[in-house]
Amino acid sequence: MRSRMQVRENNPISLEQGATAAAPADALHSYPPGDLVIWIFILAELLVFGIFFASYAFTRLNHVPLFNQYQLTLDRDAALINTLALLTSSYFVIRGVVAAREGDSALCARWTWAAVAMGGVFLVVKTAEYAHHIGAGINLSTNKFYMFYLSLTFFHYMHVILGMVILTAVALKAGKGGYSSDDHVGVETGASYWHMVDLVWLILFPLVYVMR
Amino acid sequence: MNSSAPGRQLVRPCTGIYLALVLLTGVTWAIGRAGLSGLGVSLLVLALALFKGQLIGDWFMGLRGVRGIWRWVIIIWLFVFGGLITLAFVLTYRG
Repeated sequence: MRSRMQVRENNPISLEQGATAAAPADALHSYPPGDLVIWIFILAELLVFGIFFASYAFTRLNHVPLFNQYQLTLDRDAALINTLALLTSSYFVIRGVVAAREGDSALCARWTWAAVAMGGVFLVVKTAEYAHHIGAGINLSTNKFYMFYLSLTFFHYMHVILGMVILTAVALKAGKGGYSSDDHVGVETGASYWHMVDLVWLILFPLVYVMR
Repeated sequence: MNSSAPGRQLVRPCTGIYLALVLLTGVTWAIGRAGLSGLGVSLLVLALALFKGQLIGDWFMGLRGVRGIWRWVIIIWLFVFGGLITLAFVLTYRG
């Protein structure tokens, strides 16, 4: 596995310029933004979530009435708030990346803290949902639908927490002026992970809460 | 500063993408709230989700500016697992 530093030695042009989404169409780059190691991690995470999603869909195949019945007990309004919170958080992260690329580390810190706050909104809403289910005596062994719902969403919940830890580290460093227009790989690395967390939720939300 | 140009060029399209994602999320939520069901509705909702995922990959993760396999990793993921979910739902309604 090559780290970004090793890649930099082999391909200085692509990484010095960075693989920015704003680059002209003819200026394609060899590697995605951020440290290459985080992308290996992202691919592994996406594979696990993908298998989880497919398992849900194929298990539902043999238990359609049960899945449809208990899906109705979920709070779609809370899921909407959570989706909007993650989307907004991702947008704030992009603004933080842009600020870092422009060399404004303090502004990067402010956007990143805002993204962390939106992640906090997600956790509060999701925790309230869990409290409601636990209060109703629902757990992993209640039935197959709740087994998938609780394990899938809690697995994602843990990723949100990890993402917030990463973004907090980025915000703290940015607040100390730790990033510049020439050195902002750390911001892009954290951003890439956070967008993955957002991406997974964008599939999870319709699959578990809406499709029936 | 030359370094600021790419950043500023990124903000406007990503703001548009963000608003589009919010709008599409609202559509998905409204379908759920209305209690709509059936194969067609499910596949429409899934298609919206996969499209939103591609927007995230291309614009937020910046993969539209990358060549080679990295350009396609998110699209392949969406295609493979979106395809499996589609297959499961089609089998549900045809079984």
